[in-house]
Amino acid sequence: MNKFYVLIVVLGLSSTSFAQNNISGRVLEKDTGIPLIGVTIIIKNTSKGTTTDFDGHYQLKDVNAHEVLVFSYLGYETQEIEVGNQTTINVSLDSDAQQMDEVVITALNIQRDKESLGYSVSQVSAEEVNVAKENNVMNSLSGKVSGLQISQGNTGVDGSSRILLRGVTTINGSNRPLVVVDGIPISSDAGGGSQWGGVDRGDALSDINPDDVASISVLKGAGAAAAYGSLGMHGVILITTKTGAKKKGLGVSFNSSFSFTEVALTPDLQNEYGAGAFGEFAPIGGDGRPILDYPFSWSWGPKMEGQSYTNWLGESDSYSSHGNPYKEFYNNGYTSSNTLAFQGQSEKGSFRMSITDENSRGIIKNNTLEKQTFNIRGKSHLTDRFSIDGKMTYLTSKVKNRPALAEDGANTALQLSLMPRDIRLSDVANNTVNANGDEIKWNLDNTFNNPYWSQEYVKNIDEKDRFQGILAAEWDITDNFKITGKSGMDYIVYDYTNYAARGSQFQSSGLGNYGHNSGKSRVWNSDVLATYNTRISDVKVTLSLGSSYRDEYSSFVNISGTDSKVPNLYRISNYKNSYSDEGVTKKGVYSYYGLGQFSYRGFLYFDATLRNDNSSALPKENNSYWYHSENMSLLFSKLLGIESDIFNKGKLRGSFAKVGNDTSPYRTQTVYNVDQTVTLPYTVGSIPASLPSFDLRPETSESWEVGTELGFFNNRLQFDFTYYQTTTKDQIMAVPISGATGYETKVVNAGVISNKGIEFQLNAIPFESDNFQWDLGFNFTKSTSTVESLNEGLESITLNTLWAVSVEARPGEEFGSIYGYDYLRDNFGNKLITDDGFAQKGERVKLGSITPDWYGGITNRFRYKNFSIHTLISIQQGGEFYSYGRAYRMFFGTDARSLEGRETGIIADGINEHTGFVNDVPSDPMLKHYSDIFTNEVAKDQILDATNVKFKELILTYDFPSTMLRNTFIQSGSISAIGRNLFFIYNAAGDIDPEAGYSSGPTGAALEHSSLPSTRSYGLNLKINF
Amino acid sequence: MKNTYKTLGKIFVAIIMMATPLSCQDHLDDLRDNPNAVTSIDDAALFTKAVRSLFQDTTDDSAARFAGHYAHYFVAGSTARLPDQYGDGFDVQYNQMFTSMYGGVIRHIEEVLEITSSGSTENEVRHAMANVIAVLGYAKLTDAFGDIPYTEGGRGKTQNILRPKYDTQEFIYRDLIARLSESIAILKVADPAMGYPNSDPMYNNDLNKWMHLANSVRFRLAMRLRYANPTLSQQIVAQCLTEPLMETNEQNAYMIETEGNGNKWYTMRTGFPSIKMSTMLIDQLQDTEDPRLPVFVNEDADGGYSGMTNGLDDTAFGTSNFAAKSDMGTALSSKESKLYIMTASEVYLLRAEAALAYDNDPNKANNLYRKGIETSMEQWEVDSANISDFMARSIASLSGAEDEKQIGTQLWLALIPNYFEGWSHIRRTGYPVIADRTAANLSQGVTNGRMPKRFLYSSFELSSNRDNVMEAISRQGPNKIDTPVWWDQN
Repeated sequence: MNKFYVLIVVLGLSSTSFAQNNISGRVLEKDTGIPLIGVTIIIKNTSKGTTTDFDGHYQLKDVNAHEVLVFSYLGYETQEIEVGNQTTINVSLDSDAQQMDEVVITALNIQRDKESLGYSVSQVSAEEVNVAKENNVMNSLSGKVSGLQISQGNTGVDGSSRILLRGVTTINGSNRPLVVVDGIPISSDAGGGSQWGGVDRGDALSDINPDDVASISVLKGAGAAAAYGSLGMHGVILITTKTGAKKKGLGVSFNSSFSFTEVALTPDLQNEYGAGAFGEFAPIGGDGRPILDYPFSWSWGPKMEGQSYTNWLGESDSYSSHGNPYKEFYNNGYTSSNTLAFQGQSEKGSFRMSITDENSRGIIKNNTLEKQTFNIRGKSHLTDRFSIDGKMTYLTSKVKNRPALAEDGANTALQLSLMPRDIRLSDVANNTVNANGDEIKWNLDNTFNNPYWSQEYVKNIDEKDRFQGILAAEWDITDNFKITGKSGMDYIVYDYTNYAARGSQFQSSGLGNYGHNSGKSRVWNSDVLATYNTRISDVKVTLSLGSSYRDEYSSFVNISGTDSKVPNLYRISNYKNSYSDEGVTKKGVYSYYGLGQFSYRGFLYFDATLRNDNSSALPKENNSYWYHSENMSLLFSKLLGIESDIFNKGKLRGSFAKVGNDTSPYRTQTVYNVDQTVTLPYTVGSIPASLPSFDLRPETSESWEVGTELGFFNNRLQFDFTYYQTTTKDQIMAVPISGATGYETKVVNAGVISNKGIEFQLNAIPFESDNFQWDLGFNFTKSTSTVESLNEGLESITLNTLWAVSVEARPGEEFGSIYGYDYLRDNFGNKLITDDGFAQKGERVKLGSITPDWYGGITNRFRYKNFSIHTLISIQQGGEFYSYGRAYRMFFGTDARSLEGRETGIIADGINEHTGFVNDVPSDPMLKHYSDIFTNEVAKDQILDATNVKFKELILTYDFPSTMLRNTFIQSGSISAIGRNLFFIYNAAGDIDPEAGYSSGPTGAALEHSSLPSTRSYGLNLKINF
Repeated sequence: MKNTYKTLGKIFVAIIMMATPLSCQDHLDDLRDNPNAVTSIDDAALFTKAVRSLFQDTTDDSAARFAGHYAHYFVAGSTARLPDQYGDGFDVQYNQMFTSMYGGVIRHIEEVLEITSSGSTENEVRHAMANVIAVLGYAKLTDAFGDIPYTEGGRGKTQNILRPKYDTQEFIYRDLIARLSESIAILKVADPAMGYPNSDPMYNNDLNKWMHLANSVRFRLAMRLRYANPTLSQQIVAQCLTEPLMETNEQNAYMIETEGNGNKWYTMRTGFPSIKMSTMLIDQLQDTEDPRLPVFVNEDADGGYSGMTNGLDDTAFGTSNFAAKSDMGTALSSKESKLYIMTASEVYLLRAEAALAYDNDPNKANNLYRKGIETSMEQWEVDSANISDFMARSIASLSGAEDEKQIGTQLWLALIPNYFEGWSHIRRTGYPVIADRTAANLSQGVTNGRMPKRFLYSSFELSSNRDNVMEAISRQGPNKIDTPVWWDQN
């Protein structure tokens, strides 16, 4: 009330007793003296004002002496100056890091104002990854960043994730973005099994401890990543870990979370027909048990009506269904994680130490993870001008019993999904081993295991120790010249053992087997960078020169054996047949680079990178290759002086980059291998199936992007839009060649892929008050990779196969076309049906594509006082995948869809191949599915739409109010309730999760085969800072 | 002071920038060599590889999935059975067989031929031995597919030919025979020390046996031309008869697979996909009371012999009780079982055929026929009393009425376990007769129920070597499984 009176008085006085002056002046940047254009000058408490012109000049007429001018400029501290008697008011504005719109970490760990960047970068805060925690940090980014596509297969605890940033740019190769932790690139290959089985050993990204992450920057284009050379060709995910910071209180923080995992999605199985074929029970064998050889081991028997029959154990039983075996077989899993961190800061330096303990159990009861991470980070200013920064991370993890996948006989999901529908799971559990120690199973097919037998007798232990160390030094030689040096290594030692007991035909013909693989890998990067800052007239210049050396080394020793001598001893000495294998791989890359950044008056930014790499993987004559990138950012709203409260930011950006790439080592030399033999008295040598190339050139990728960032209502509404295009040429790949050459592939430079896309991101604060705020985010990505050409004369490269379906690269088509057999059809598309009523095998055609039409996510955050709710919904529109799991369940008759035509037969839609009349001949449903799927290999009906909308994340958080904590030694704290992967809002594939592939390679999402059920998790997260 | 720092810094950077390139190129050179392999090798190691591949190929898909069914020796389980239905939807297998036959025997033997024909490693004896292996490798390829890349085949590395042209089967056969003739001439007088001592998995460098094999293979190839080019066939046969042929089981070309899990027949009998012997084979052996029955066929669970009918459609197979049928005989499918490329019994029986066809000498033919049967039975260590019993029966002598059929049937039996050769033999002679499939429960496939005559060129070969393979198809006939190969003119 008082203020109001004062204001009235002041206004009254001003209108009467002070003269009015014309004011002019100039606004400069304080550090550099560069004129600032578009600075807003407003007379306080009025709407009157102006902006500075191109030279920083401004003019204001009729200003009263008592009035106050407010100089404001985005990224700078606002100044208020009382006019008084002055007619010229020159102002120097100080740039303000606090106020800077957004500081992001860019390549080579250079912190920059986001406005100055000519390419697209998305930054994700620590909160996004360490509240609703995932074992693999990457999974927490899914749906949150445009351009980033992440899918998580159902491959057990610590499984790998498929990660693509802006789609696919190379035909072979992982296409995974480079992951850089604190400036050091780390290894992170894809994982997963094959169509024939195996386990998913995880990708190394799950080793990044979410609780140590300070922020994540996603550098999307080559322009952003050119400084990393070829490694950054597929984009870069930069992870910065926490350093010590000044905190109130003790500087101790504790983060604890616990969550349950439960089965969320299982295939729909029928409950009406049990074991048998042609509607009949299987014949009873001499031992009184039904002979369950296929097809009698399938579920095409009589209708189950509780009638008395002889069950698979040879006992009299009532013939009925016993429900969903998945729900009975799989358990609830859990994950618990606890982190304790200590940190502090003084004038001389800072430190942070943390220890994390993580334990989890999957839905298979003995599939567990134990992982501990120790992290120590310290920074010290040894002198005013010299500082060092060091980090050591040690991680040890042990994963037990990674589940067998896909066609593997030990894949429990495959067995459960095909088990005849009348079999009681408890009978299977209670009958696993007979008196001879052999496996008991319901069928005679040796490719199958009893799921309980494999759970008990097929095991593996995957142990890993990982050490990451970084030592960095920075020497500020003068105020504008500094040198930084850094050396960091990522060292992994792994030890994997697996075994299967004797007694199962699937496991080495009943002899049992054992394998022990161990190895280590080391990636060591060292670099030095000199940076010089200067100003030439109105242009701020930063020049850097650097060089680096990357050293890669890996080695492995694998031993395996079959035919165990005594039971329960899993050591190689216990196996009659044993084999071993070993190998070493080395590669080195020297690089030299220069970077220049130029900024003109705070509205025009330009930077350029030039880099030269020299790789040992290429022939000596061609082993040196160059990259460059040019990026420009223009704040046109400043240039034009049109910034206002309504339209407060307008930026245009553009980027061009040319990146080179080498290949894996040892592809430029002809060699002979010496075969490992055990029994032979002579030496066996062999020639590798791939012909080397002696004139390999580096592959090159050219890309450009343009984008705009617009801010309205003081950034309460922000748009970010990008269009990009990348063309990769001269790709190094082993192209398949005619087998008649004696060889299978030849390494060549061939093929062009072009990749284009748009990305759109919207952030809005539709409502904001002291007590309530609503944040809304939406991101959208459309990315298409087209195979422009392959090696001359080559029609297709097969990237992945499952049964008779392949994922292929064909010239003129999208990368990742799914090919398989269609039905035989006439010219009008009618199926041609035989006189017996069966459809026939037709042409091999494109049945789908892995590439979605678009994908994105919607995030909402509502905060009311100390409560907040966060939701994430992910969306994928389009794209297809092949489900061999469903194909299997169809001809085994366990799928709910196989109920069609059980009693009447199925009349295939189509026309008779001879008469042309509409087919009216019914076929036996079992024979129809068997003929279509198995004999004729027609995949058409199992190509499923991957469109889905998933409620991915729900987090309710309560921040303890400071009033509550006032008399405790707790400084701050919060508790969150978390749900992850809760449910599908829409899933076109119905009972199959479109992300449930068995491998995380670039085409892994195209193929599903009897995956473990998808899971959802609920839990609590507690954070306390002391 | 400030300036000193600045200067020092610049010097520091300059030194780092300059020092690294000097050392780096050398260091990269060190890293370029593959530490897991060698850049040169004694051709003996590659020769061994090729010989082993030749034997391993007698159990590959061409036998286990295709020829073994086509020649009605057995019925395999699961997907391995599908070719038994005379379909042709096996693009993946066609390509895989084509690629692996070239990639096994041919890839390695071409390298041996290259090494042994030039420079300091030139060696005519080794070259002659390698030629015998190359002939066997190419003969199987052309018998399977018809026209194949031959003069330019397998030269991806040695001559950088990535799209080899196809040669006609006639040309290939003539050249194979010529190569064998050259090898025979060299091997007859060769010094064993020049051969492959300690590197020969087949004959342990016994060059006399090698020479017998080379001539016997030449004889087999010559007989294969009987209907396609009788004049040439007769001429080469006559030539072969002037040189030593395999006459005893000691001269048989065999190998025992001791590596890995053992031979494929062993792993199939004991593992998956399982394998059951054919009704036609069991009937033949039972009807003639042939003592090789328990050698070739195991008893079923009931102590009898029950076979699988070839060619059952899915419904009939489903109710066939496959699991309970007779397995492949343990003698053929144990870990110690021998894999054969060629045997003396085959040579005797081919000579019997030649005696009828070219000498018109039934007596000589009968003697050779009987010798062939006897040698085969001895090969399988049949009890001598049982052999005598069998030899006393009428079946063991040519009747004069169906001599060709009798010889053909005995060849079919004598060729076991070289099932691929069994199929080639039936294609050539028509014996034993594989009846066209007309019964309702038999699948007629794409051949109207007739035994298929070749494998298809795969779609991959059609795309990666298009012009050349299209030229071959235009010469040879449509790329179908019932298009006969050139020598198949009976």
